[in-house]
Amino acid sequence: MNESHLRRMKDLPSTHLLGAGTPMCAGCGGLQALHEIYDLLGAKTVFVNAAGCMTLLSVYPFTPFRGSWLYTAMASAPAGAQGVRDALDILIQKRRIGREEDLETVVLTGDGAAYGMGLSATSAAIERNLDFLYICYDNEGYGNTGQQYSGATPHAAKTSTSTGPSGYAGDKKDLFAIWAAHRPAYVATVIGAEPLDLARKIEAAKQLRGPRLIIALAPCPVGWGYSPEETVNVGKLAVKTGIWPLKEYIDGHVIHTKVPRSRLPVEDYLKVQNRFAHLFTPQRDEAMLVSLQTKVDDYWKNIA
Amino acid sequence: MYRIRFHGRGGQGIKTAGRILGNAFFHEGFQVQDAPRYGAERRGAPIFAYVRASRDVIHERGIIRHPDLVVVADDSLVPVPAAGILEGISRRTVLLVYSHDTDATWQARLSTSAKILVLPPPKKPTEVPEQGSVGAACVGAAARLIGVISADALRRAIEDELADAGPVVVRENVHYALDAYEYVGEHQGLVKEGGEPSARDYERPAWISLPFEDARVSAPAIYAAATSVEVRTGLWRTLRPVIDYARCNRCWWVCGSFCPDSAIDLGDQGYPQIDYDHCKGCMICVAQCPPHAISAIPETDAEQEQPAEIEP
Ligand SMILES: Cc1ncc(C[n+]2csc(CCOP(=O)(O)OP(=O)(O)O)c2C)c(N)n1
Ligand code: SF4
Ligand SMILES: [Mg+2]
Repeated sequence: MNESHLRRMKDLPSTHLLGAGTPMCAGCGGLQALHEIYDLLGAKTVFVNAAGCMTLLSVYPFTPFRGSWLYTAMASAPAGAQGVRDALDILIQKRRIGREEDLETVVLTGDGAAYGMGLSATSAAIERNLDFLYICYDNEGYGNTGQQYSGATPHAAKTSTSTGPSGYAGDKKDLFAIWAAHRPAYVATVIGAEPLDLARKIEAAKQLRGPRLIIALAPCPVGWGYSPEETVNVGKLAVKTGIWPLKEYIDGHVIHTKVPRSRLPVEDYLKVQNRFAHLFTPQRDEAMLVSLQTKVDDYWKNIA
Repeated sequence: MYRIRFHGRGGQGIKTAGRILGNAFFHEGFQVQDAPRYGAERRGAPIFAYVRASRDVIHERGIIRHPDLVVVADDSLVPVPAAGILEGISRRTVLLVYSHDTDATWQARLSTSAKILVLPPPKKPTEVPEQGSVGAACVGAAARLIGVISADALRRAIEDELADAGPVVVRENVHYALDAYEYVGEHQGLVKEGGEPSARDYERPAWISLPFEDARVSAPAIYAAATSVEVRTGLWRTLRPVIDYARCNRCWWVCGSFCPDSAIDLGDQGYPQIDYDHCKGCMICVAQCPPHAISAIPETDAEQEQPAEIEP
């Protein structure tokens, strides 16, 4: 990743390709990541989308995309991508389109699809070494249907289906590790609040062939309970507290691309979001706060 | 039968306002229907909720076309045709607008025969409800204007509806609602019940006939790029980010990357430019601008001003 021409923020694209006027919420962290990604991927793409908030991006007759878009059932986007990739390959083989007209096949799903319903389709696509890019925008719940918990919901977060005093009882799945265990060409975590790190990873993924998978943590004002202008602050806190490690998997190795020098307390991230408010009022849940901090500390113990 | 329509933006508690009013009617022994209506858009986009209440069984269904009371929680929506606020109003409709402007201003602006009443936000800044509680203030005023809902029924309805949000939220919302209930006291009962539905009032739907077309024409496939720009999401905005070019460092990559809506581009002279047709007013740019060169001004004030010029 060091050879990237993207050295400074200034090297980022100055014109934006994703059309404005989408129905995503004001301040949507998922849309922020997608618009940064799309600037680098461009129009020569076919997006294959599974049901979620972003399905609303392309509702007839409006689309923000300059290339193609296809909608599939929630569990099936990677299978849809296989069909698109095969069709393109056949067209090229039969010389009905030239090689220069080839398109990048991009799967776009939420965490509900990526961590849950669509996981087996993804596993199978990696197994078949499908040449595609998977982008999961992870807002840590079923956003489109009112933020029910998903396999990506963090422990203790309140969701519309985890309303008790201790929030979600499960733990956020480690999708990065699950994907990397399949040994695909590339896996990375990104966040819209770190556009340079994100851009370098998308550039890296573009250079490779085979399955390339990206998880973008997507702060969601509605589902997480904070005011829209805070999206970048919340995202930066996720990185600075060590909650969201920025990393990539390539050639069998995991590299952390941004190791926070002195990690901020996890609490700084939790207390700005309403979904964790029950950890602070009416009383501080000291035991829970300590255990959440310990989990993050344990993660970083063996890194850098 | 009472027919009430609440208009506002996603995130202002409009859906909840409809439910609270429905609940309050129910406590007073009415039969009730309440339902929110919104499109695929999310927070910030126009939405409405409607409530029907009657002492008898309600047979009427669907959107309320001829309301007795229209409540507007966000006055910037009044001129937005898509919000449909003035739809179906007549001399007997009461229009309650939550606004800083006066009744007379609105009367002059709208030239409608409907009775207009303004519910102003409280003068003390600490008393002004947060966005999410504007609906509660509106429902308090609405209950009094209808005249058949007691303060007690109103309070119980709020307690039922917001129980999950905890006692602090309940207390605040009851407070906003009861303040507004007091404020419009002299107009108690201004809203009069409309008649029962009758077959004579039936209006034929405005059918559009669609000829049978070839699948290539009739399938919902889009053959053009970035058509979303035809949607003016700028209408969602209540605050407008304005760049002070005298202070702008020209670090366009900050605001331009962070704007989720691709609404900040690099302009001719190396300065970022905001596309107000599409900016939804999330204010991320205001929060992130390193030299604090972007400020948020109320959209209603901004409309009166000239568009910002670049003066390097
Ligand atoms: C098989 C199936 N089950 C349920 C749904 C309903 N549904 C539509 S979107 C959605 C939420 C998807 O969550 P996620 O993938 O995290 O995307 P987000 O909405 O958060 O963007 C659900 C449950 C569906 N479309 N298909
Ligand atoms: S609910 Fe959250 S993820 Fe979905 S569009 Fe709104 S902000 Fe984005
Ligand atoms: Mg989700």
